[in-house]
Amino acid sequence: MQKPHRLVLDRMTGYADEAAAYLRRRRLTRKPFARVYTEGGGGATHASDTDQGRALFLAAARLIDTAR
Amino acid sequence: MPANPKKRVRSTASRAGASAAASRFASLSAEMRGCAIFDPEKLLAASGDGEGWLDAGRALLEAADGAASEPATHAHVATEDGEAFALRLGDLAMVAVTERFVLASLVFADMRAALREAAREAPAPAASAA
Repeated sequence: MQKPHRLVLDRMTGYADEAAAYLRRRRLTRKPFARVYTEGGGGATHASDTDQGRALFLAAARLIDTAR
Repeated sequence: MPANPKKRVRSTASRAGASAAASRFASLSAEMRGCAIFDPEKLLAASGDGEGWLDAGRALLEAADGAASEPATHAHVATEDGEAFALRLGDLAMVAVTERFVLASLVFADMRAALREAAREAPAPAASAA
């Protein structure tokens, strides 16, 4: 039987590994997106090939350029 | 920029209060590239020399309003070059630019706190003469 502290250490290492893998997957799979939220708590994602999405991406690009 | 009448917090914030709030917000994370706070009339605080922030920030909020059927409360656009955030609280608005892959909920929480701080530090309206 493992010593109790070893068990806790293994469990913590497992959590950290899972978190690292989650972040890796997130970085690899996440694509650009635009989300707008309104008063009722609702949110909508706008694709870049729509008029609204294009306007959002253009405005965001301008803001990002301003921050350079 | 249309104000949101349902969430009117305070109509004004002082430049000093907004500047302190923006500085504090910008110092919270190394992933923060810059931010700006403005009201319907003017820029109250911004990173760097402040040039361009007002127009660019308003443009993002207008694009967000145009994308929604009602005035947007907040918006998040993630691009390959970085991430742009916009938040409206009463008459005040704030925009921020961060590195990629930040946690959006944390950024919005910090932005809300910064706007509340900016509004709180605004001078109280002068009492009417008796």
